[in-house]
Amino acid sequence: MTATQVQTSTMKPTNPWAKRNKARTRDVVIASLLPGILAVVFFFVGTALGATIDPAVLLIIGFLPAQLLAAFLVGRKYYGRHGREDALLIVVTIFLSTFVMVLLLSVLWSVISAGALALRPSFILQNSHYISGTTSLEYGGAGHAILGTVMAVAITTILTVPLGFGIAVYLTETGGKARGVIRTLIQAMSGLPSVVSGLFIYSILVLQGWQPSGFTGSLALLPLMLPTVSRVSEEALRLVPVDLRNGALALGSPTWQAFAKVVFPAARSGLLTAVLLGVARIVGETAPLVLTTTYNNDTNLNPFNGPMAMLPTFIFGYIRNMYDTSIQRGWGGCLVIMILVGVLFVGARVANRKKK
Amino acid sequence: MSPQGETKIPAKRQLVTKPSRTADKVFFGLTSVAANFSIVLILLILGFLLYQAWPAFQSQGFSFFSGETWDSSATPQIFQIGPMLWGSVLVALLGMVIALPLAISLAYFIEFMAAKKIAAVATTLVDLLAAIPSIVIGLWGFAVFGPVAQHWASLLHDYLGWIPYVFYHEGANYGGSPFIAGLVVSVMIVPIITSVTREIFSQMDRDVVNASIALGAGRAATFRKVILPTASGGIVGGALLGLGRALGETIAIFFVLNLVFHINFFQVINGEGGTVASMIVSKFGEADASERSALMASGIVLFVLTLLISALSSYIVKKAQPWRTN
Amino acid sequence: MVETLLTESNAASHLEARGVHVWFGQRQVLQDVNLVFPSNQVTALIGPSGCGKSTFIRTLNRMHELIPGAGFAGQILLDGKDIYEDGTDAVDVRLRVGMVFQKPNPFPTMSIRENVLAGLRLTGKKNPNMDELVETSLRRASIWNEVKDRLNDPALSLSGGQQQRLCIARSLAMDPAVLLMDEPCSALDPGSTRRVEETIEELADQMTIVIVTHNMQQAQRVSHQTAFFLSEDGNPGGVVEFGTTEQVFNQPVDPRTNDYVNGHFG
Ligand SMILES: Nc1ncnc2c1ncn2[C@@H]1O[C@H](COP(=O)(O)OP(=O)(O)O)[C@@H](O)[C@H]1O
Ligand SMILES: [Mg+2]
Repeated sequence: MTATQVQTSTMKPTNPWAKRNKARTRDVVIASLLPGILAVVFFFVGTALGATIDPAVLLIIGFLPAQLLAAFLVGRKYYGRHGREDALLIVVTIFLSTFVMVLLLSVLWSVISAGALALRPSFILQNSHYISGTTSLEYGGAGHAILGTVMAVAITTILTVPLGFGIAVYLTETGGKARGVIRTLIQAMSGLPSVVSGLFIYSILVLQGWQPSGFTGSLALLPLMLPTVSRVSEEALRLVPVDLRNGALALGSPTWQAFAKVVFPAARSGLLTAVLLGVARIVGETAPLVLTTTYNNDTNLNPFNGPMAMLPTFIFGYIRNMYDTSIQRGWGGCLVIMILVGVLFVGARVANRKKK
Repeated sequence: MSPQGETKIPAKRQLVTKPSRTADKVFFGLTSVAANFSIVLILLILGFLLYQAWPAFQSQGFSFFSGETWDSSATPQIFQIGPMLWGSVLVALLGMVIALPLAISLAYFIEFMAAKKIAAVATTLVDLLAAIPSIVIGLWGFAVFGPVAQHWASLLHDYLGWIPYVFYHEGANYGGSPFIAGLVVSVMIVPIITSVTREIFSQMDRDVVNASIALGAGRAATFRKVILPTASGGIVGGALLGLGRALGETIAIFFVLNLVFHINFFQVINGEGGTVASMIVSKFGEADASERSALMASGIVLFVLTLLISALSSYIVKKAQPWRTN
Repeated sequence: MVETLLTESNAASHLEARGVHVWFGQRQVLQDVNLVFPSNQVTALIGPSGCGKSTFIRTLNRMHELIPGAGFAGQILLDGKDIYEDGTDAVDVRLRVGMVFQKPNPFPTMSIRENVLAGLRLTGKKNPNMDELVETSLRRASIWNEVKDRLNDPALSLSGGQQQRLCIARSLAMDPAVLLMDEPCSALDPGSTRRVEETIEELADQMTIVIVTHNMQQAQRVSHQTAFFLSEDGNPGGVVEFGTTEQVFNQPVDPRTNDYVNGHFG
């Protein structure tokens, strides 16, 4: 798979070399397939003969050097001096990229396959009343946590979006004097460790006598959502051509009308993207909730009063139990979160695409 | 009209956009309230954490940063975060060292090698993966990847164990080491570094790159002499962004790293470690008032550390991408 | 055209620039510009690129101050009153001094009809007879016949030349006393250019017009008076010659004007 890249990327379709091209194609195909085939054969023959061959070791000290050597030889033969280097670059790039992709796909696949085992109607519809770490998966679910997450995230969104939009408008529309400072602070806030946000809400609210509730969790999510919303919406507003603003202002429009009737409609899908990405940022955030909310196995529909379960704390609690079934419940929760993130993400993409 | 030689220039007036109508004044006022809220929020975070942390800083003194003991049942109580502080740095650095080549490769693959369709799919995937919550990565790292990584660690010990100190390990259990935490963290930050790097690659002058390849310089030479020098500032900025994220990472590390109050300088596959963030989560539930104060102090140390990193990274990115500033 | 130089009308305003100096940040780009734009006259501003024509025209309706770091000195008198005086509202100024930009900029989220009425919506003005206003504005911009059957189509469905005339109609709906036009035809085909020029000639009955153009023939066709701007060797730009169009083109006083209008540089 690797060396064909060499060919497609630098081949020039000139006819006089057609013969040579054929030989080159052949060699390139051989060089890209042979090391892999040899490695697989070696592995199965060796295993059949009773040797214990570690795939990881074979990959690193068998396949990779062989692949590098093969690409090196073909590269040198057909492309001269720089062909050798290029071949190595291509092999290394593809090897590392594949490695990353395998890791990342493994995350997705684990969540989907393990989560699917736990996912069933009752998992969405029931709460965890009477459920312990070892109760069979037939019983109980994350419904109460899903409701909690939806409510808490909705509260955070309602509080954050006006602030985030306000900041973005300040940065792009009003020519505010403190633009540089505000941008720097937003940048700093986007690096705020989530656990520190939890500590902050704990120190400013819970230690002052507020009971931990869904609402305290919502507030702990706010500093994490705000930078995403304001940064993405700033970019969205900035994509609106200055000409349009000037067109509106030159008609004698006040700034706020120019924003409300010209800039905002033009940036609407970008602003929607900002909200969706902001929600995606916080929907699975765990550490601040662990510090600022309390576990609950029951459904609590009042985010301002009493303990309220949310998906991240639900998952966290069950993983900490370390029983097989409780970990499976954790996977189920992860799948629900990933579905939420995926939906938000696709929504953001679609919103963004519509504009173009 | 006037001759060039005339030098009398009247005083310059600096013009600014000022709201004049009431509605505009309200509009400008509301936006600057929002903007100022971000200032207030940062100050509140620093202020309240510092206020709560102060007793701990006072009672522990400088050894809060350097000591290796955390004992809330001793009299007087001892709270020292030396191993955690170093552990945070070690895990984050390991994560970044692993993530950086992977991210650069992937970005190069997407921007300069892959066909358009594959590149689009890979880009979407990377962006989506950047949005995976850390609890998901934590569970994956603990339940799926952990055993694999432990096996890799055992291979490292078997084959490279002759190198003194670094690959030291005792016993059969290879879990809970900085090596595994670093790998898990690298999975978290690869997408971040990749998207920054990819964006920088995509903004490079395609004609220059293509011309260089067409002139027979070759891919590798072009990468070394044209692409890397142009993009290096941005890549470093992206790497620091990832480093900041790795330092603050909490839940994923909580599940894969043993918490031991003993400084593990560089025995990467030895199951001793801990980071400030994961320690806060694991100790917070049972903490009494003074221990909580010490945890607040740890939080503020962590925040200041990430602030420094993020300041450095935005400075470097700004230098590398002047077109982004305005 | 000289004989019309002094005609008067009620609607149009008299505009005058006195000792105008302009800066971007620390950099001065205009030096001591003094020009008079009598009512119902069309004034062409000509000169090579970068000499500050756009910058100057933007000072006439206070659009210049939207650029961060904008600096200004001098006076712009609109019917004798300085528009830069303390307490003068830039929004009021722009209500009286309309502007058409180089690149057509219809509002993309609005229909053709909504674009014409955009000024009313944006400024909260009421007009009892919207349909009539739409029709007269579009007629005055000579685009009515082309769009009368598709008023609710999106503005972006029009061609570039039509978009520009729509933008003119949009300005006209606000009934400005002065209309500023910054190279309104530079992005247009010859046919559309011709139509815009006809529009300008008709509009001069009702308002004062200032137009920046790179096209010498256009300046001679549409304007009553002409100002030649020049910025030499990176010095701030200024007005080299100002007079009736006929005089500037046929008997220029300054040799540099002669060179420019006869195509020797710029
Ligand atoms: N937004 C701006 N910021 C800084 N300098 C500018 C800006 N706009 C124009 N200039 C400078 O002012 C000078 C005059 O520009 P401009 O008025 O656009 O010239 P013209 O319209 O005659 O071609 C130029 O040198 C240009 O570089
Ligand atoms: Mg211009």
